Amino acid sequence: MSVPDARLALPVRGRSAARGRGRRRRRGRLPLSVALSAIFLLAAIACAVAPGLLAPQDPALIDPASALQTASDAHLLGTDALGRDVLSRLVAGARSALVGPLILTTATVLLSTFLALVAGYLGGWFDAVVSRVADTIYALPALIVTIVIVGVFGGGWWLAIGVLVLFNMPTGLRILRAAVIERRDLPYVEAARTIGVGRWSIMTRHLLPNLEPLIVTCFFLGFTYGMVELSALSFLGLGVPPGSPDWGRMLAENRVQVSQNAWAAVAPGIAIVATVLSANILGGWLYEQLERRKRER
Amino acid sequence: MTGKAIATFLARRLAAAVLVLLVVSVVVFLLIHLAPGGPEQAVGGEFATPQQLANIRASLGLDDPLAAQYWQFLSHAVTLDFGSSIATREPVVDAIRSGLGVTAPLVLVSFLLICLIGTALGTLAAYRAGGPLDRATVGLALVGASAPAFVTALILLTIFGVQLQWLPVFGDGDGFVERARHLVLPIATLTIAGTTAMLQITRTRVKEVLGEDHVTFARARGLSSRYVIERSVLRNAGIQIVTRSGTIVVGLVSWGLLVETTFGLDGVGSLLVKAINARDIPVIQGVTLLIAAFIVTVNVVVDLLYFALDPRVRMQREVRA
Repeated sequence: MSVPDARLALPVRGRSAARGRGRRRRRGRLPLSVALSAIFLLAAIACAVAPGLLAPQDPALIDPASALQTASDAHLLGTDALGRDVLSRLVAGARSALVGPLILTTATVLLSTFLALVAGYLGGWFDAVVSRVADTIYALPALIVTIVIVGVFGGGWWLAIGVLVLFNMPTGLRILRAAVIERRDLPYVEAARTIGVGRWSIMTRHLLPNLEPLIVTCFFLGFTYGMVELSALSFLGLGVPPGSPDWGRMLAENRVQVSQNAWAAVAPGIAIVATVLSANILGGWLYEQLERRKRER
Repeated sequence: MTGKAIATFLARRLAAAVLVLLVVSVVVFLLIHLAPGGPEQAVGGEFATPQQLANIRASLGLDDPLAAQYWQFLSHAVTLDFGSSIATREPVVDAIRSGLGVTAPLVLVSFLLICLIGTALGTLAAYRAGGPLDRATVGLALVGASAPAFVTALILLTIFGVQLQWLPVFGDGDGFVERARHLVLPIATLTIAGTTAMLQITRTRVKEVLGEDHVTFARARGLSSRYVIERSVLRNAGIQIVTRSGTIVVGLVSWGLLVETTFGLDGVGSLLVKAINARDIPVIQGVTLLIAAFIVTVNVVVDLLYFALDPRVRMQREVRA
């Protein structure tokens, strides 16, 4: 099976930025792009936590009389085909947009960290089996397999999350496994082994803390993957149930009327891109910071 | 490089490919049995009476042993006979064939554009690393990588189809010219999605290779930049770029499905989406097997390209063979 090595699975920005930009910029100064990303993500989280406070109107209120209006003072982003306020649905949709990827990436990172530690440190047949399975999964088109499984078994949001955890696992596994292998024969691990520290302790207390920057990277990477995949699923009608405010679903439902009120479909699209982009930028920056702190210590 | 080594390698790869396809065929065959309510429910629909279900069982041979059923499925599948669609009664092969009329040009043209634009921009960016072109491409690639294909599709559709009205936004058009016009925006979407990945890998690898000793030496010998890039740098960066091309092609199938749905194209991807929504098992089986065969083929081609590109791989194989 043809697969790139773990080094290449790392986001390009993470490495090049850490090398080039780090020295030129004075430390402690927050780059503008990072600040904007953080603000946007915080706003999205606020919308997800308290949609009722932030949405100008009831996102589920159907008002056929004012269907498909363009942007106005009453409806800043206009209304959809059922007369629901697009902005309010956008705010309410933040919850399903953030919660799904969060659950997905948490489960994925836990699974891939565990497998990477055990496979990378112990090696042997377990490593061979895990790597082989991960390579095979990596070569499959995640989206297509997920829609076939979810479709045939009759939908189910949790089923989709479970399948996607399995499909997103290899990316993190490779990055982390390579890091474990790089470190397992370093003097501090060797020293721990010599004084008789158990295998499990070495993995959790000596190796795991040193993987922190990479785990953060994997978390953000997994979040962006999950966001794209889950919104694609609901765009195809296989994620959240119909009628619930969800960015992918809004995009699918409102794209037919794009000539009447383009914002109804374009705004959730922009929201998805902005969230993914912010998570990418913030993840890259955090990695850079954590790596530098490790080196300076 | 002896012909025998190539033949051995090819034979081994093909055997592995056939094995993978057999495993996939078992999974795809079992799909129909794993569906809730069993295959007769999937075929007959929710409201089928017990009598109808029994008839369906008999006509599909569902009372035979599982192994006999699989053999039946497999022997039909190798002759490309996947039965008929439950929804339209059309033979699955015919539906796939007409879908390929849209999907094949969509994926092929996009892939060619991705290779051209991605490697060219990536090489240029790496060559002038840190310059304005480099920073601009890296920034754009980050935005591009953050945009799911269906969002890019929708934005292009809104701007060029609805606001400017330059291009058609829906359907696949009849005749060559009309079809081409209908495919411009979908191809643009896929090209944007794939180019970012291609650009990133090319830029990273070319930058690495540019720093290696043999490039410095080639320059010291007074070889032209163009010669160095073409003969030395790209060839060395080639393995990773080819590997990535393989994953991009596989990705194009997934993204293509979203793009076809967005633009209302009747390609293989939207055939699969429709079949899933209608629980049309024979179509799902046919399309899934086709996609699996495609992916396996891509992987074999990628391995063969390693051979062509890297003499070190050839030597290794020869020693081992």
